[in-house]
Amino acid sequence: MADIQTVIGVETRVSGEIRGGEDLVVKGRVDGKIQLTHALTVDKGAIVQADVDVKNLVVSGTLVGNIVASESVRLHASARVVGDLASPRVMMESGAAYRGRVDMGDIEAARAAVASRAVARPAASSLASARERPAPPRVGAPPRTAVLAGKAAPRFVAPTAGERPVVASVSPSAPPAFPRVAGAVGGMAPAWAKKKVRRR
Amino acid sequence: MAKEKETKPMANTVIGSSIVVDGEITGEEPLTILGTVKGKIATAGSVVVEAGATVEADVEGQTVTVSGKLTGNVTASEKLELRPESKMVGNAKAPRIVFADGATFKGNVDMDV
Repeated sequence: MADIQTVIGVETRVSGEIRGGEDLVVKGRVDGKIQLTHALTVDKGAIVQADVDVKNLVVSGTLVGNIVASESVRLHASARVVGDLASPRVMMESGAAYRGRVDMGDIEAARAAVASRAVARPAASSLASARERPAPPRVGAPPRTAVLAGKAAPRFVAPTAGERPVVASVSPSAPPAFPRVAGAVGGMAPAWAKKKVRRR
Repeated sequence: MAKEKETKPMANTVIGSSIVVDGEITGEEPLTILGTVKGKIATAGSVVVEAGATVEADVEGQTVTVSGKLTGNVTASEKLELRPESKMVGNAKAPRIVFADGATFKGNVDMDV
């Protein structure tokens, strides 16, 4: 009985959460979340749109979602993966398509980040959560931009306020300075030219 | 555990004994459940709830065979079979329904009579 592998077949779709303590092979489609203490294999032709928290991950199909693998991630040549990836060992074959951030360092931090994102998700239905997938970055982004704008604005204001008198003092002195230099250069230029002409 | 059908699952989709699926399983092929499924199951193929498995879901399938524990309404387009040792709570709707000796069932039966 234990030899029987868990398989999501080609013609099967699971929307929701899958968790457990054995290997899982997805040949069909899974939307939602996958949490395993063992390996997840996303076969060629399979589509997984889920946050994944597993030990080992092997992808030959398509996977969209944030990935945390406590041991390793292997993307085969036919793999198409979009999402942030955290694992100490990451292998990508030539031909594998991947877009996202890779973190081979602190997995627990990444796991906590994925978990905190997942907390907001179960409230919505599986379809809604799939539609909301772009939302978490957006939700995360506004505070960052707000913080940046908040810091940037005073920075811009302070220099301009401080520069105004400087600019005011420079600008009157600058116009006379340029004519003087220009006049000096204009006076010198013929002299150098004459010297050069003389030398030639 | 000495059942012959368990040794050779014909299903293309298998939910292993330590797996919990919380959500919806839909498909066009046979499904064997050894673990736990909560939510909803709808497949055009057969559904087999093996001994030891727990299903808390409404189930739609061609043939539904229960050896484990099933809570929810079952609609089978062909046949519902409750094997010995099985426990089912919910309404059963199928043209043919088989209760084996030892099966436990609580709910309504609708055979489209």
